[in-house]
Amino acid sequence: MIDIADNQNLSDGELVSLSLENQHNFLYLVNRYRFKLLSYIKRLTNVSDDDAEDILQEVFIKVYLNLNDFNSDLKFSSWIYRITHNQVISSHRKLKARPEGHAIDIEDKSALNLAADIDIVAGTDLNILKQKIIKVLDGLERKYRDILILRFLEEKNYQEISDIIRKPQGTVASTINKAKQEFKKEFETQKIIL
Amino acid sequence: MDEKEFEQKLVDKIQADNLSPKPRWHFLLKNYVIWVAGLLALLTGALAVSVIIYLLRYNGWEMQEGTHKSLIEFFLLTLPYFWIVFSGIFIFILYYNLKHTKKGYRYPAYLIVLVVILASIILGGAFYSLGIGQKIDNILGERAPFYGQVFNRQITFWFNPDEGRLVGIISSEVEADNFDLVDPSGNVWKILGRRDELNHLPPDFLRLGEPVNIIGSVVAESQFKADVIRLLVPGRGFFSRPNIREGHEKCLRSNCQLLLPPPPPAMMIIK
Repeated sequence: MIDIADNQNLSDGELVSLSLENQHNFLYLVNRYRFKLLSYIKRLTNVSDDDAEDILQEVFIKVYLNLNDFNSDLKFSSWIYRITHNQVISSHRKLKARPEGHAIDIEDKSALNLAADIDIVAGTDLNILKQKIIKVLDGLERKYRDILILRFLEEKNYQEISDIIRKPQGTVASTINKAKQEFKKEFETQKIIL
Repeated sequence: MDEKEFEQKLVDKIQADNLSPKPRWHFLLKNYVIWVAGLLALLTGALAVSVIIYLLRYNGWEMQEGTHKSLIEFFLLTLPYFWIVFSGIFIFILYYNLKHTKKGYRYPAYLIVLVVILASIILGGAFYSLGIGQKIDNILGERAPFYGQVFNRQITFWFNPDEGRLVGIISSEVEADNFDLVDPSGNVWKILGRRDELNHLPPDFLRLGEPVNIIGSVVAESQFKADVIRLLVPGRGFFSRPNIREGHEKCLRSNCQLLLPPPPPAMMIIK
């Protein structure tokens, strides 16, 4: 196993190679992505913390089993997000439940970015804005919600989203555009209710 | 669950199930299978395209006016539907495989469809120019069941004497005003018409053993007055089948006299 201090300077690709040499090195990759992915899983689903941890464990096992399938043409983060995305879909198919985003947590910066990009009136209270965003995201069709989460909450660029959901960049762009329109429409509707 | 607890649970799971990364060849093999299957689909689709080009090129366009008033009607009746569907299936398989390569998702569907269709047409055209489309048609013509109904509908299309279309193999020396012809069912016909007045395509091909299709009309039992005669191109293999060949040879041995009904007394068609 490599020294802990060294792993900070290593790229994901290098850690993959080291994990193939010694399975304990895989834990560095686990720690590097654990919280990001747990947060992503919770944003995509309404499962409990324990269930989210179980999904995450399945994700890391899949990543470990498929380490040799990773190639440097792709960013490792895109690859691991893709596995996570697929695992969330697969877990929910097994549970026969539709993913719902009740567990979405949003950072202040993400909420403001989303509001600015979609051109909605944010108001003064950031907490209310975040509540509204969560509620609106919850009400969106799955494909629109997922892509907005990737774009604004996970802050992925178009190429990364294309690699995660395995769609051409043009399709990603048009889906984001449509998702923003749907979001704005839903936001306007829910503004009256709140 | 804290960091250490999660790590330990993961390590325990990996060790308990004795898990290890799948070998690299596993993924390479999967990738190669997709590419090889795609390549085979491309080749198969292109072979079908080469047959389509061959059948369409020699579809008898020059005789269309003698059979149908509308070019579209003639076109729809003689299109090689089987080969179009067959090539379509393999073009779809190629598209599916390309879409499922490692980077296939990055390209829009329309672009992949365009590339796949163009590749199939270009390769199909190359196969056609090498004579492969003709070879396939000949082999199927010699052996395939339902050849005339499925693989080359021109045979069925042209074998309809009541509507003025006849197809068969020339089974006698061509006289100045008649010759014998064995049709796909093995029946013998006397084809009537002065050689120098007939419109035949291409000129000077009328000779023993040539498969031909004819536009004209039935004038008596087993007698067909020809207006236009054309050399049959796709479907030549079909006329070397044993049953037709047998009828043809029997006709040759007997000078076709035993196989043809006697001419009607007032048979004055030949000028």
